Amino acid sequence: MLTRLLILLCAVIFAGPINAQTGPLRLTITDGVIEPLPFAAPVFQAENSAAQTAAADLTRLVAQDLSNTGLFREIPPSAFISQHASFGQTVAYADWRAVNAQALITGAASVSGDQLSVKFRVYDVFSGAELGQGLQFTGTVSGWRRMAHKVSDAVYSRITGETGYFDSRVVFVWESGPKDKRLKRLAIMDYDGANVQFLTDSAALVLAPRFSPTGDRVLYTSFESGFPRINVLDVASVGRRQLQTAPGEMAFSPRFSQDGQQVIYSLSNGGNTDIYRGDLNSGASTRLTQAPSIETAPSLSPNGSQIVFESDRSGTQQLYIMGANGGEARRISFGDGRYGSPVWSPRGDLIAFTKQNKGRFHIGVMRTDGSEERLLTASFLDEGPTWSPNGRVIMFTRETQGATGTSSLYSVDISGRNLRPVPLQGGASDPSWGPLQP
Amino acid sequence: MQSPGVYISAIGHTGLIGWLILGWGLSSDPLPFDVADVSVVSTEEYAALVAATTPQPGVADPPAPATPEIEDAPSTPEPESAAPEVSQPEQAEAPDDETPPPEPPTPPEPPADVIETTPTLAQPEAQATPDLAVSDQPQARPADRVAPVPVAPPPPEADISDLTALAQTADPLADVVSQEPEQDATAPQEAATQIVTEADEPSGAVTSSIRPSARPSRPAPQPQVAEDTSDDDALAAALADALAGADSGPAPALPAGPPLSGSEQDGFRVAVSRCWNVDTGSEAANVQVTVAFDLSRDGKVSGQVRQIASSGGSGNAVETAFQAARRAILRCGAKGFDLPAEKYDHWKAVELTFDPSSMRLR
Repeated sequence: MLTRLLILLCAVIFAGPINAQTGPLRLTITDGVIEPLPFAAPVFQAENSAAQTAAADLTRLVAQDLSNTGLFREIPPSAFISQHASFGQTVAYADWRAVNAQALITGAASVSGDQLSVKFRVYDVFSGAELGQGLQFTGTVSGWRRMAHKVSDAVYSRITGETGYFDSRVVFVWESGPKDKRLKRLAIMDYDGANVQFLTDSAALVLAPRFSPTGDRVLYTSFESGFPRINVLDVASVGRRQLQTAPGEMAFSPRFSQDGQQVIYSLSNGGNTDIYRGDLNSGASTRLTQAPSIETAPSLSPNGSQIVFESDRSGTQQLYIMGANGGEARRISFGDGRYGSPVWSPRGDLIAFTKQNKGRFHIGVMRTDGSEERLLTASFLDEGPTWSPNGRVIMFTRETQGATGTSSLYSVDISGRNLRPVPLQGGASDPSWGPLQP
Repeated sequence: MQSPGVYISAIGHTGLIGWLILGWGLSSDPLPFDVADVSVVSTEEYAALVAATTPQPGVADPPAPATPEIEDAPSTPEPESAAPEVSQPEQAEAPDDETPPPEPPTPPEPPADVIETTPTLAQPEAQATPDLAVSDQPQARPADRVAPVPVAPPPPEADISDLTALAQTADPLADVVSQEPEQDATAPQEAATQIVTEADEPSGAVTSSIRPSARPSRPAPQPQVAEDTSDDDALAAALADALAGADSGPAPALPAGPPLSGSEQDGFRVAVSRCWNVDTGSEAANVQVTVAFDLSRDGKVSGQVRQIASSGGSGNAVETAFQAARRAILRCGAKGFDLPAEKYDHWKAVELTFDPSSMRLR
């Protein structure tokens, strides 16, 4: 009996430290892969015969939205084991695992008169669970693209955890004609280049349109009077009015404040350019910089507390940050070359910019303290970055070289991947990405 | 630098010589001490004489012998003090005379010191420290082998493995190195004998660590414990419960055999990272997340993958990072991770930390 006790005590004594030493196997993983997440989107079920076309179109557009992000890869339907995944049916996860699908999107559409309804579900194939809950949108048949974009946004959000940007619009300058005699009009389009609509005629030169935070108005610079003047345009009614400036003053590069009630812009007077803040309702303006150098291209941070702008006060064009009410500016760009047209990310963590160095132009991003500068593009002429509403994609203008050179819009992921042109008929420049539509 | 040395040596020499001389002088002193003994005897006799003899003649006699005797005693120290006083200048003079001759020899000595120092400097540059390391740790030669082997192979694995299993990094390196030298054999011919022995030694070390085959026997005691519990021994049952409670599973209480080797850990790590899809542009790329899960004996995930820690990023970003980590584990573990079955106790519970920071700027 005593020996047993001793043996047990010894076992306990020895067992303790050994267990303490082993514990779980602990490892750190620092190298992953960067690859699009494969998803399967079998054609949405048509709940009535009138919805056949709409269901197929919706499915195609959702798959295209997701694939165009570069973050997802559609598994071709020809690889599917089970072609039909009825909405609401129990999902045969094994079949989708077999084709290596990580996400499965099922949906159904129905048309009744002019009304189109679409509902969908998203599944995480490998954990065998639904992501979120089923959701349904209803709209007009003609507005099917928006409904597809809404589905894409929801899917994107459920898989990545971040908001999407598909149901958004971009205002830009539509261009036609040769370089020396180019016609420019304000136009608006879906993020993917569809549904282009013109906001102005081509009578006057227009520049630098900027969406308001809510997407209902557009600020732009017009040369109607021969001098650059800032106009505010209501997108719905296409009505516009001009911001008043004193004679001899040139106002340009305007941007809305976060509440949409104020404008920060540049004003050039007597050869000196400084940054001002103006109230859209009262017309009162405040001067924010007092330097004899050129300060322009202001952009507010998402919380409205700071302004990033470009200035040549150091001798070359660089980026600076100051408080929203002016004050001392802090330089944040220190690399080679010239930096311009900074834009604060909606996420708040990055600043996009145009960089000119050694005869080439780049679109780049840096953190708000100037660190981790990353050039995303390089070409003969890239300029004018604008952020997608979720701060994930940058759209910009790329111009080709030579007399026959044309401008077109491109988008690129902030990781520098997935550079792709925005499909548009004709030339385009100066994009400004609006918010997600309600 | 040289003069202080010279002075120190000179002072040392003079001190030594002076001590010798003093020693001689002191050695000559004992003779007076013999005289002092005589004086002691004289005091007793003097006291006896004072006590015994009449004062008048005694008074005349004692002072006469006493004082001379006492005077004799001091007189002997006086020569002592006189002798050193004389001897010191003599010694001072003698070293002065002697030091000039030593001085010419001493300058060569410092150069010798300089020569010694330069080789010592050259040695560390060459391979002094490795030699020292080898001499210090005859068994730690795996470390020596790590150093001479071109740095190229270790980094990818070493960077990863250092964090988790320092003690086991020697194993992957040993494996890699032991294979490479065998293939490259002829290249390091000079060190070939060493490398062979080194290659053998670490493997011997591994086998020696394997020898805790005593541990496999410990699962055996457990059934005994179970028997004990069946013997209506409440105390033994409680202890058995404590033992069982120490392990969070029904499996044997004590991990059997050696832990996963570095290459085995790397294999597991690679297997997971192959399925870890990092969206470098997302906010989740700023999040470091640690997840825990259990594996069954066939290497498949059993139960839930749990998030146990995270740092950086907002709640949504953390959730996204966790989902990516979970997806990686579930995807690549769908058919079971390839882990050594005999070491199941070492990998039945796993904690993986997914750190995308190094991928963010790629």
